[in-house]
Order: sequence, then structure tokens, then C-alpha cells
Amino acid sequence: MQVVELEAVTKAYESKVAVNELSLKVEAGQMFGLLGPNGAGKTSTIRMMMGITIPDSGRIRLFDKPFERKALERVGYLPEERGLYKKMKVVEQLVFFGRLHGLEAGEARKKAKAWAERMEIADALDKKTEELSKGMQQKIQFIASLLHDPGLIVMDEPFSGLDPVNAVLVEKTLLELKAEGRAIIFSTHRMDQVEKLCDSICLVDNGRAVLAGRVREIKASYERNRVIVEFEGSAEFLKSEEIAEAKNFSGHAEIRLKEHGNAQKLLHEAAAAATIYRFELVEPSLEEIFIQTVGGKANTGGGKANG
Amino acid sequence: MDNMRLIARREYLEQVKGKAFLATTIGLPAVFAMVFGIGVLANLGIGANEHLVIASGDVGLASAIQEQLLIDKKGKSTVDVVAATDAERSTVLEQVKGRSVDGMLWVDTPAGGLPKATYYSPSSGDFMTAARLKEALNDGLIKEHLTVAGMKQADIDAVVKGIAIDTFQVKKDGRLVPSNAMASFWKGYVMAILLSMTTIIYGMNVARSVIQEKTSRIFEVILAIAKPEDMLAGKLIGTAAVGMTQIAIWLATGAAIFSLPIAAAARTGSLQIQFSWTEGILFPTYFILGYLLYSSLFAGLAATCETEQELQMYMPLAAVPTWLSFAMILLIMNDSNSVWSVAASLFPPTAPIVMFLRMASQTPPLWQIALSIGLMIVTIWGVLWFTSRLYRVGILMYGKRATLPEILRWVRYS
Repeated sequence: MQVVELEAVTKAYESKVAVNELSLKVEAGQMFGLLGPNGAGKTSTIRMMMGITIPDSGRIRLFDKPFERKALERVGYLPEERGLYKKMKVVEQLVFFGRLHGLEAGEARKKAKAWAERMEIADALDKKTEELSKGMQQKIQFIASLLHDPGLIVMDEPFSGLDPVNAVLVEKTLLELKAEGRAIIFSTHRMDQVEKLCDSICLVDNGRAVLAGRVREIKASYERNRVIVEFEGSAEFLKSEEIAEAKNFSGHAEIRLKEHGNAQKLLHEAAAAATIYRFELVEPSLEEIFIQTVGGKANTGGGKANG
Repeated sequence: MDNMRLIARREYLEQVKGKAFLATTIGLPAVFAMVFGIGVLANLGIGANEHLVIASGDVGLASAIQEQLLIDKKGKSTVDVVAATDAERSTVLEQVKGRSVDGMLWVDTPAGGLPKATYYSPSSGDFMTAARLKEALNDGLIKEHLTVAGMKQADIDAVVKGIAIDTFQVKKDGRLVPSNAMASFWKGYVMAILLSMTTIIYGMNVARSVIQEKTSRIFEVILAIAKPEDMLAGKLIGTAAVGMTQIAIWLATGAAIFSLPIAAAARTGSLQIQFSWTEGILFPTYFILGYLLYSSLFAGLAATCETEQELQMYMPLAAVPTWLSFAMILLIMNDSNSVWSVAASLFPPTAPIVMFLRMASQTPPLWQIALSIGLMIVTIWGVLWFTSRLYRVGILMYGKRATLPEILRWVRYS
């Protein structure tokens, strides 16, 4: 089933076109990465999916039907700009969000407890939000978006602000939800996570989809122009005409070949100069593809300043 | 609808459970009581334990003044009479300087002319004492003259004491109701203050809660499930319910205190205050209308602001109609049916307060009340229409202004 479908969606603000003729499809049981540099139009796209803003043109379908607000009860949303009621008790807050999504109060309370245990923050339920650390608040918000068993989960930067232990917990939970057949869309700057978690991606730049498809296929479509060499002896071969760029970490070299650079020729040159322990042609990482596609101006890896 | 109810409920519970609610529920009447209490006490205390000296060549006049001064204070103050000699004068002035005497009234009685009085005291602005002295001096003078003219003491006392006027208000149906201009002034005044304070306090609460949700970015989470109109309506209804709860607590407490034996004097004595059913119905009506007008305006303003500080700048502006209403208080009390009074009681921003000030002296014609309520409802509708649009675009705009076509698309949507 197509859980989300965007067809040539365009959204313009006063000064710029935030989203330009963007199309994408996400199926049930799929983990989908919405990627792009800051200001590319990711949040604008997500807001249109959530009915918070409406597209100037194009169509949005949720759960195989044209967009309707009722469908939002089956969507879990974790926005990038997060907020909780500071003075409210965590459990009351979760019940409130659950009820907004159509749960009964008692049911919402039960689920809040179960989820708090699953996310290892059961102790926090009776505390006020303002008493919790930022990471804990993040987990509460994560739960709030999942309490009502949504068929579609949309998360804008779900890992920002989490320590490695909690990031792994969230990753694990997302994979479990995916296995249950839910569609998950998340936007992130962390390419390593995308590579690990996502089945498909859409790379957005200046409001346009510049790269879309299954992660495997995208990577396979790129030329294997990276070479990893482990060697002992002279590093003279790193000056070969076949090489565009090379980094030498004393005996471990990461090489990018020139376009149509000949790897076999390089191997010969290397073997003539040094003892080779490893010579491997590898496909580019998503991070490299990202940088290459959006022209190196992207802010990758570190996340946004406001995380 | 359901979302609106949930949002209203959350808003209500959060505010009612908050410390601010408790503080204002107890604090506001306490402040009122304190202001009134201090006023009453100060009034009782005027002239008490005072030590005055009257110096005059005319002993008869001096003792008449002394008698007059002592009448109201039942001996709590001391008034001495001394001869008007230079020696006494410097002695008493020395005592005034040393604060052992609060003041000296020096009365010259030139032969064949009117007495000339001078008052010496350590304070420069004690107009209450000056007024009492003037009254005592005049009464004393009359008494002395009448005594000289051979009038009987009892008759003189009766003349000087004067006659009290009983006032009755003639109602439309011909009933005569004992009235007290002062009491009805205070009643109208207190109700108007109560109305304006609660309206502004709760209007501000709505604005603050809008801005808090905006700065804490909670909007985006709720907007993913609830419509902005539901959020706004829920917020307005929830906060209105808080205000009604508070007013109900005050009224219930007030009624309980009023029915105590200790308050019997207030019910029958000089402070006879009567509350009519009309007032009982109109007070909550005008509260809700005034509140809706102000809070929806504030909510719209808040949605355009980025921080609470920015919002604060609008607040004095939004309170202008309230100031205007109170500035007109004398005008209204004087003639509650003048063109200005009627116009102000129909003009929606000032209507709630001015109508209550008018009602204090007499119930305005029904058509005027109906018209003012009608005008308010129309205005509220207009403001809400405008605010809800400002709101739904404003709350998601961080540092961006919405264009008209954008707003129009929002209107078409949902």
C-alpha cells in the first residue's frame, strides 16, 4: 500500500520556492530518508504531508486516499521544532496527545506506561516536563508521536539531542516499528544512520528532488571510483595520473580516481613501488554521494546548530 | 469539536491548578478589602487623639468652637482654650514646634468686625483638619450669635445640627426604593473594576499561553492533529471557564460573608446596597463578551509576536479602552443618560465597563442594553474572524510575514 504519495507538490513563500514539483512515494513497511542540506525544503515538505500548510499545487495522498484531516489520526509526527507543556506532568501530557489522536483516556494511560517502560523512562511519568533533561524530553516526545499506533510515522531529525545509548534505542525501536509494517519517514543529516536504516531516500536540494530511489540501487549506480589501499614502502604511486584525490594515513590510503581513471593501471603502479596488502575498489558512501550531488555546500554529519 | 474540548479542558486544568490562579483568587479580593479597610480606618481615625489649642479673646466663641470639635470625636481628642496673649502665643507655638500640640487656632475678634482665624500646625497639607476647623468655627460663630440673640439652647443645637435628607429612587414600575448615591456609586465602581480586571487578566492569560506555545514550539505538534481554529477556540473557552470559576468563587464567598450576622449593618444601614437580578445576569454576560473581545484581540496580537517581551509592548495599547471607560466615570455618574454616556456604553470596547457604571445610578433602557450586547457580538465575530486568520498563519511563522494570497489559501483550506 502507498502510505504517502506526493505528486508534483509545489509550495512557495514570499521570497522563495520552498518545494518545487516534488514527487515521492513511501510504502508500508518502508523506512524512508528525506535528506538535504539546511533550507532545502525538507520541513516544508513534511508540513504539507501533515496538513499544517497546504501546497500551492500538486497532490498529496495519505493511505491511498486524497489528503483528509481524519487520516492524521493514523499519523505520528515528531517535528523538528519540539515542544512539550513544561508545567504538565509527563503522563498527563502523553494522555492529552493520545486523546487528541482519538484514544480513550484509560487506553492512552495504559499505552503511555507501556511505552515509557519500553523507552526506559518509566520513572519520569509522574514528573513535570520541566524537571527532565533534554534527552528525556526528546524521548517523551518520541513516545507522544507513537502512542496511538500510527500507520505512518514522520520524524524530523529524530536523533538530534540524543546520546549514543538513546540513539541506539530509538534506532532499534524504529526498526521494530518498520518490521510491524509501518511506514517511516525521517529527515536527518546523519548519513551513517541513513545508510544503516533506510530502504529508500529522496535527496532534496533547493526544493527539488535531485536524487531518489532505493539506497542499494543508488549506490550501485555510482561508479566504483574509490580505492582503499593498504601498503608498505614508497607512497610515490599516490601521485599517479589516475588519481583525483588521495589521503594517506601512513600505510592506509583512501583514493578517489579521476573520471574514467583506470584502477588496474593504478594497481600496477602501486605494486611496482610498494608491498600491497589490500587493494579494494569500493562504492561511494551516501555521504560522498550527498556532497557530490548538492555541490559540497551541504552541512553533513554535524546536524543543525539548533539540533 | 472533540479536539477543541480536549484543548479547552487542558487549558482550564493547567490554569486552575497553577499558583497564579490561587494567588489572584485570594489576592485580588484581599487587595480590595485592604484598600477599603484602610480607607474606612483612616476616616475613623481622622482627628482622633489630636491635641488642638484654641486661642481667642472671645472666650464664649472659643468654647463654642471647642464644643463643636469635640462632638464627633467623643472626647478622643483634646481641645484646650487659652487666652489670646502674646505670651500664650509663643508658648503654644513652641509646643507645636515640639509636636506636643498638633495645632493652634488663633481667632482674632476685632470689635465690630467678623473674627479672623489663623491656623498654625506642623503639617502644610492637612486639609481634613482645616475643613473640620472651618466647620467648627462657623458653627461656633452661629451658636454664639444665636445665644447672644437670646435663642434657646435646644433650638440652637437643632439649627446647627442640620437635617439629613432621605433619598428614594423612583423605579419604572412606580416602586420607591431607598437609595444611597454613595453606595450605588461604590457598587458600580467595584463591579466595573472587577469586570475590567478580570477581562484584562484573562485576556492576558490567553495571550501569554499563545506566546508560550509559540516559543516552546508546541504548536507544530498539536497542529499535526488539531485545526488552528480548534486550538484558538479551545484556548479561549478554557480560559473563560477559569475566569468564570474565579468569579463564581468570589460571588459565593461574597454571598456567604454578606449573609453573616456581622454584615447585617451593611444590608440595612447607611451602606444599603441592592443587587438586582438584571445585574446578576448582565455581569457574567458582559464578562464573557468583554473577555472574548479582548482575549481574541490579544490572541491575534500574540500570534504575530516572537517573544513575551514583544507582546508586552502591545498591552498598554490594548488597555486603552479600559482607561477611557474609567476616565469617563464622573461624567457617567453625573448624568448616566447623556449622549456621551450612552455612546460609550454602546461602543464595544468600552461597553461592558461603562454599562455597569451607568447601571449603578439607574438601569438603562432595555433597548440600549440589547443594542450594546448586539454590537459587541458583531464586533467579537469580526475580531475572531480576523484573529483566527492571523493566528493560524502567525503561529507557524518564525520571522516570516504571511502574504495575502497565502492567507486566502488558508481560508479556503479545511
